[in-house]
Amino acid sequence: MRLGRYDVTLEPRTTRPAFYSALTAVGAILLALALASVLFLSAQTPLLDAYRAIFSYAFFNPNGLLATIHRSIYLLLCTYAFLVPLRAGLWNIGLPGQVYAGGIAVFAIPFVFRTQESQTLSLPPVFLILLMVASAAAAGAVVGGFAGVLRARFQVNEILVTMMLNSILFWLVAYMIKEGGPFMSPRGEGESFALPPPLHAPLLWGVPFTAVLALGAAVFLDILFAKTPLGYRIRAFGQNPAAARYGGIIPLALSLFVFLLGGGFAGLAGYHYFAALPGVYKISGNYGYFGDLSFYGIISALIARGSSLGAVPIAVLFAGLSLGARFAQGQLRLPFGVDYALLGLLMMTFVASHVLYQFRVAWRRVPSPTLRPAPTQLPPG
Amino acid sequence: MPKTLHLPPADPILVARALTKRFPGVLALDHVDVEFQEREIHAILGQNGAGKTTLMNILFGLVQPDEGALFLRGQQVEFRSPHDALAHGIGMVHQTRRLVSAHTVLENIVLGHPRVRGFLNLQSVAPEVEELCNKYGFTVDLAARVWQLPEGERQWVEILKALYRGAQVLILDEPTSALTPPEVKTLLAGLQALVRDQGVTILLVTHKLPIVLAASHRVTVLRSGKVVARVRTGEATEEMLVRHMIGRDIVARTGKRSSEAGPPLLQVDHLSVVNDKGQPALQDVSFSLREGEILGVAGVTGNGQDELAQVLAGLRDAVSGTVRFKDRDVTRLSPLARWRMGMGYVPAERVEVASIAAFSLVENTALNYHFDPAFARRGLLDDAGLEQLTRNIISGYEVKTPTARTRAQHLSGGNLQKLILGRVLSRKPRLLIAHLPTQGLDVEAAAFVRAALLDAKADGAAILLISEDLDEILSLADWVAPIYEGRFGGVLPRAEADIETIGAMMAGLSAKEVRAQ
Repeated sequence: MRLGRYDVTLEPRTTRPAFYSALTAVGAILLALALASVLFLSAQTPLLDAYRAIFSYAFFNPNGLLATIHRSIYLLLCTYAFLVPLRAGLWNIGLPGQVYAGGIAVFAIPFVFRTQESQTLSLPPVFLILLMVASAAAAGAVVGGFAGVLRARFQVNEILVTMMLNSILFWLVAYMIKEGGPFMSPRGEGESFALPPPLHAPLLWGVPFTAVLALGAAVFLDILFAKTPLGYRIRAFGQNPAAARYGGIIPLALSLFVFLLGGGFAGLAGYHYFAALPGVYKISGNYGYFGDLSFYGIISALIARGSSLGAVPIAVLFAGLSLGARFAQGQLRLPFGVDYALLGLLMMTFVASHVLYQFRVAWRRVPSPTLRPAPTQLPPG
Repeated sequence: MPKTLHLPPADPILVARALTKRFPGVLALDHVDVEFQEREIHAILGQNGAGKTTLMNILFGLVQPDEGALFLRGQQVEFRSPHDALAHGIGMVHQTRRLVSAHTVLENIVLGHPRVRGFLNLQSVAPEVEELCNKYGFTVDLAARVWQLPEGERQWVEILKALYRGAQVLILDEPTSALTPPEVKTLLAGLQALVRDQGVTILLVTHKLPIVLAASHRVTVLRSGKVVARVRTGEATEEMLVRHMIGRDIVARTGKRSSEAGPPLLQVDHLSVVNDKGQPALQDVSFSLREGEILGVAGVTGNGQDELAQVLAGLRDAVSGTVRFKDRDVTRLSPLARWRMGMGYVPAERVEVASIAAFSLVENTALNYHFDPAFARRGLLDDAGLEQLTRNIISGYEVKTPTARTRAQHLSGGNLQKLILGRVLSRKPRLLIAHLPTQGLDVEAAAFVRAALLDAKADGAAILLISEDLDEILSLADWVAPIYEGRFGGVLPRAEADIETIGAMMAGLSAKEVRAQ
């Protein structure tokens, strides 16, 4: 593009300093909030009030902050579920299905041990809780691994398989909790029975222990990808499958592994939402909402560019803004969908910031055309 | 200004004056002056990274210069895009074919021509194209599909396509890289006829000296973005051009025959392989290879070489036949197991297969070491050890890179190839499969790679060298196997393999037929 006497072009950056990455992220957030002001102004809401409502509820109100933390844990676990296969170049769109599978597996444990009928537990609760966590992870892993096997062995597109599994598991949950299903609440209100109090997930400072899992996994995954041979193989396969095969990496084992691990994280997310949230402890009738929410894990993994540590602040931000905007919507009588619109804007500015992160704007003076052709000389002889 | 030019009285058709182009961190062209006469074949010679590609891209409007100007027939011109360049009569034929292989020759020629916008009426343009073909003595079936044509004819389709757009100046980028020796001869003769009879000016961009000496009228040599020599070809010698290109003499090494032959390290019997489409790609191939020997597989690309390299590396299943390595049947072994047994593979596809563009050089080194217990520390990859190894490869193989942590995508083709070869050879493989190891490399890097292969051979490695470059095979190999349509024409000892015999066998003649001729 030419502006006056200058040529303006986008050029790829050869070096990408880390602080610049953080700077573009902050810039993207500010820009999204600035763009959101159009929404508030169109609803004739004072801007300052709107932003104050969003942020004070999400991060400063005790109830709101707790809700933000709970949602962050859920989003983080969903983020890992997408992020692990993504590093191997595979797309796990089956987060809701794997979350539901985790939920079913969690309630299968008390169902099998009949703890919801007789109030006497036959086994120590800690053991049962561990069993519930493990079975949730295993169920998510099995559902994920199913797509992984089909992908690795028969080259079936993992996006289609995981999407279809979402639907299957959605209806499987419906069968389990509604209309006389095995997990139906005794009161029969289209939701599951409630977990008996001894099986509620233990709280640490008022937060379920799944927070430790979510944060620990961020560190674990970061080390896995940065330092271990297995993580190296996953990244190599994701960047260039042909080179990975050349280097002796076995695609079948790797595709299966990333889907097992990813699915396991989604199963844990299911455990978190259905068995660890104070005040819930059941599969409620609107479980589909949480399934849809899991898709934000895809966005935050993409924005974090596959970094599990980078995903932590992004998941917290998404959780906080979605809750804060929903709160502001009710309080300030904003139009429906302000929370979705805000998250949408955030996604767009993040994606745009990636372009600016990889390229820089170069200004160059256009040389004035004063040269004349002159014969070039041949060497004598 | 003193005029020392004694060329036929022709006006310069295209003049580049003080062209300068900077890329981030690189000065690609530094005040380059070039002048192209009408009706000449002007060779632009230089190593990889000398600035040939940039110069050519500026002349064709793909890149805009930072400084300097272009003059066409004395008028200053500015090409903002290839479209501008074509409108001014400058056409280009790229190194890789840019044709739609499922379309006919005619469709490819008229594709994208300004006059066939909107509705395509092939009947109305066909006579024009036919006339053009007759004018240039081009005899290909216009209704033939491009995929059915041999490589040499596809190139003519591209040339014709440029001429159909009215190109008076043709830029040819490495036009001989995919051609057999007879096809090269035909191409050069055709180009000379174009210049002589049709008044076309040809810019031949290449790093192949024999082509320059055989076909061009004048040569401009580029080195590190500067013009270092302008000579008339008649007065040039190969040694002199090499000196200009690399700035010093290079010492060519030739392989010594291994006198004491050891036991066979690799034994291949009746090996047959199919390609990705399930068609036979390699048929009943048998050979054996001893330690310290080089077997050169000579052939034009696409005759089963890819499949041969892949089946030996474990990346493709054999349909029938056996591969024995170190007295063990490895036919069904995984690539990983073969690496561990001491096989090494340098694939032809440097960027697509042998490296990971977004990874640093250290991470690329790990591609051949991630499974090696020597580079594992308590379950983690030994990053420091890998970095040290990478640095050793960089210094030992003269890889030009800012740091060991630079991404592989920032390396030029020659440097990347040296890095890959260094990485594979650092494992001290007993068997090395080297597929097109010097393809696209400049003279200096190619000489370096060949020397490295000979060093590995001196260390006792057996090498399967798959190459299109007959000179390379004849200078390195102890045995030569011409390959044509998936079959070996024979495995000849070097002494019995001369360039004519091998060239004819590469084109499908059997050894008997060659001798009969």
